[in-house]
Amino acid sequence: MDIRKRRYALVIDSRKCINCKACVVACKAENRVPIGDFRNWINEERQGEYPKLRIDFEPEQCHHCEHPSCVRVCPTGASWQRKDGIVLVYADDCIGCRYCMIACPYDARYFDEESSTVGKCTLCSHRVDKGGIPACVETCPSKVRVFGDLDDPTSRIHELLATRRYHVKEPQTGNGPQLYYLV
Amino acid sequence: MGTTRMDRRFFLKTAGAAAGSAATVQVGCLTYFKKGRSASADRREVPTTCELCPNKCSAIAVVEGGLVKKLNPNPENPKSRDMLCARGNAAIKQVYDPDRLKQPMIRVGARGEGKWKPVSWDEAFDFAAKKLAEVKAKYGPEGTLWSSTEGFQEVFFKNLGLAFGSPNLVRHPTLCLASVNLAYSATFGTVPSFDLLNSRYVIMSGANRFESIITPDTMDLIGGVMERKAKLIYLDPRFTVTASKADEWYPVKPGTDLAFILAMIHVIIAENRHSKEFVAAYTTGFDQLVEHVKQYTPEWAERETEIPARDIIRIAREFSDAAPRSLYYAGRRSSWYQNDFQMRRAQAILNAIVGNWDQLGGMVPNAKLPKGEFLFMPWDEPKAPRVDEIDKHFPLAAKGDGVYLKLRENVLSGKPYPVKAWMVYKQDPMNAMPDQAKTLKMIEGMDFIAVIDVQMSDMAWYADVVFPESVYLERTDPVEVMPGIWPAVVYRQQVVKPIHDTKPNLEIVQGLAKRLGLSDYFDFTIEQWVDAEFKELPIPLAAEHMKKHGVWAASGQPSYGKTLTPDHRFVTKTGKIEIFSERLQEAGYDPLPVYSAPKQPPENRFRLILGRVGYFTHANQSNNVWLNEFMKENDLWINPKPAARMNIKDGSYVTVTSSVGAVKLRARVTEEIRPDCVFMLHGFGKKSKMQSLVYNVGASDAVLLETAWDQVSGNAAFHETFVNVATA
Repeated sequence: MDIRKRRYALVIDSRKCINCKACVVACKAENRVPIGDFRNWINEERQGEYPKLRIDFEPEQCHHCEHPSCVRVCPTGASWQRKDGIVLVYADDCIGCRYCMIACPYDARYFDEESSTVGKCTLCSHRVDKGGIPACVETCPSKVRVFGDLDDPTSRIHELLATRRYHVKEPQTGNGPQLYYLV
Repeated sequence: MGTTRMDRRFFLKTAGAAAGSAATVQVGCLTYFKKGRSASADRREVPTTCELCPNKCSAIAVVEGGLVKKLNPNPENPKSRDMLCARGNAAIKQVYDPDRLKQPMIRVGARGEGKWKPVSWDEAFDFAAKKLAEVKAKYGPEGTLWSSTEGFQEVFFKNLGLAFGSPNLVRHPTLCLASVNLAYSATFGTVPSFDLLNSRYVIMSGANRFESIITPDTMDLIGGVMERKAKLIYLDPRFTVTASKADEWYPVKPGTDLAFILAMIHVIIAENRHSKEFVAAYTTGFDQLVEHVKQYTPEWAERETEIPARDIIRIAREFSDAAPRSLYYAGRRSSWYQNDFQMRRAQAILNAIVGNWDQLGGMVPNAKLPKGEFLFMPWDEPKAPRVDEIDKHFPLAAKGDGVYLKLRENVLSGKPYPVKAWMVYKQDPMNAMPDQAKTLKMIEGMDFIAVIDVQMSDMAWYADVVFPESVYLERTDPVEVMPGIWPAVVYRQQVVKPIHDTKPNLEIVQGLAKRLGLSDYFDFTIEQWVDAEFKELPIPLAAEHMKKHGVWAASGQPSYGKTLTPDHRFVTKTGKIEIFSERLQEAGYDPLPVYSAPKQPPENRFRLILGRVGYFTHANQSNNVWLNEFMKENDLWINPKPAARMNIKDGSYVTVTSSVGAVKLRARVTEEIRPDCVFMLHGFGKKSKMQSLVYNVGASDAVLLETAWDQVSGNAAFHETFVNVATA
């Protein structure tokens, strides 16, 4: 296994999301996320007037950007990016300055009061490195998220991005986000 | 930048390894530190079966250092298919909940005052046995009531009640789906499954499958609606998540769904769209139906339901065109109105006349699997009749389940005989039954109340003695066969040892039985019981397989059409699918569904409608810290028009008053509900202080609901209450 030949990403089919929060609790358990903090979440948009109404859900987490601004602003190098694209925080080096939280265009990071460090989605790198998939991807009843390697032409996400229309959030930041939302 | 990081990690790793202070994780050619992740040499994975709702999903528990760390979905179970919902994931917190019951307790203050004395198991058993013996001596064994809800160990509790000699076992169905079960049984002789995976056209009345509970039906529907282009028509006074995903949503006037269904039948028959071959071969009473539905025109139904007649006609046409791959879906918690049984019967009849019985994408009779039985000493049948007089009032209802609300009326009146002890397993009648004040009165009238539960429910809060049950991750339970289109067997095995002084229900039952002189009936261990069940499973090396996998599913494709043979006899009086039911007629009910318009709320009052959200199961789990995060209190949904009229602001407190009670909670002013209804979610406003996150937070619908039931099944009618709303 050579991580340098991989580029992990998530493809998200928001239409299939029913806001059941299974992914949020799975993440909480898998990554021991403190109460009140979240590494993934579901955006909710409700609009219209009775009886012409609409609800849209959109799961979100760290976008594991190509050019992560959180990594750029980190004064100690605690925020770093693996060659496979996964953005992590090395807690030992984190001084809790929270610059990264301000720099993140997606508000994907939180401050863990107990350890005085910043926490965020790791794309369950500890599972991925053993050949598994992130907990949020696995537990989802409607399989909204598809996890995979963009550099693998046989992967499901490669196929989805080649055949379906999609968008990314806040592309103007130049961060190169790697959460692809199907249209 | 990444490279320098890795290099630095590598350096640190060398230094760290030299110090021997932390484990290392191998990643590709580089090795780097991972703080806080121990090598977890004691890591175990134990397959088991979730208990947080009745769906029985398979889970794989990850145990590290003796603690349950994670529950992963088990893809082998066709009834959970590689998913665990929010509740399933949060089951870990059930084990480590600071609020959970940790030892037996006996009440020392007044009932509901919350003063408890922790006692030994012996003391608790002796106390309960003495009280039960006193009641038995005074009122006979029928003076005891045994309430329980669905659970793998429920069987032991019920058996204790029966062995004790009480006819008064009462279970959850009449607070749940008794009307659906009875309506389908009366029509088809059985309650089928719905093949949503293959259906092309689905109609749902209020069965909020994308929001209120997550099961394979939910997953099939999402796949169907989003990927396979199945059409979903959804009727609900509220714009739910299901409504938002449906192709068409109709905010039906509450209580008029029956008119919509009858008009659909009218259109299908008038336009000759029914399946003539199927109707002729397998049904009886179609001719009476033809006459019966002539009166129910789409134009008439439009006035009743507020669904345009042209839409009713179009939906009826689309539904029959898609048949047999079309469904009117039955749903769960079907307890809404006093004519609920007839509304479900009409659905069953509509399904029958388009011939979607036992077809791909239609309704399918459940396939079953055999399971062994542990043979134990039989007891004498209880001599006394049931206190709810089920034979007299609900002759068609399921005898073993009883009828909750009628039972409460009779216990309160002391007729036909007094009931003075109440044993409860896993159920919370305080929140599950409408009209909490009445339930409290019933509690006051009891000489003795004992509750077996994993948490201090509101019912437990009012008990005299509380027996703490071990949570499911701490127990081995009986084997459960799940009939269905894809039948399966699931097994729940102990993942971790109980962390508090708790016992599985079987041992609690045995402790009581011993002191009641009933030990002979419970002279076995859970292992012996389970082994006997394993023996007749159609699985090679069943015990080994179940312990290793936690689930076994019949492989291969489901077979449709097994009941569609000329000599098949349906389990009905005529042996056919009964559109016109003589059995109903003989029992004094309408043999075909007759519509009667529901009462409407007077001016400035609202119909109270209820619902569930899939973070919680009924009144459970709102105190689970991982789930409570999503909803800390419930609120009252009210449409902006009436809200503006009454000067109710979003988020402000309102007082809601019915004829039986009043509550205070926040208003949620939302477009997502009809102006003539208000809605609140179940499971808040707890009276038990050991539900610390939801004690006195929000409100319990049980306080407001009036006592009403479906005439045929005895199912509680939860949507018949009108309320006043005012700023608080």
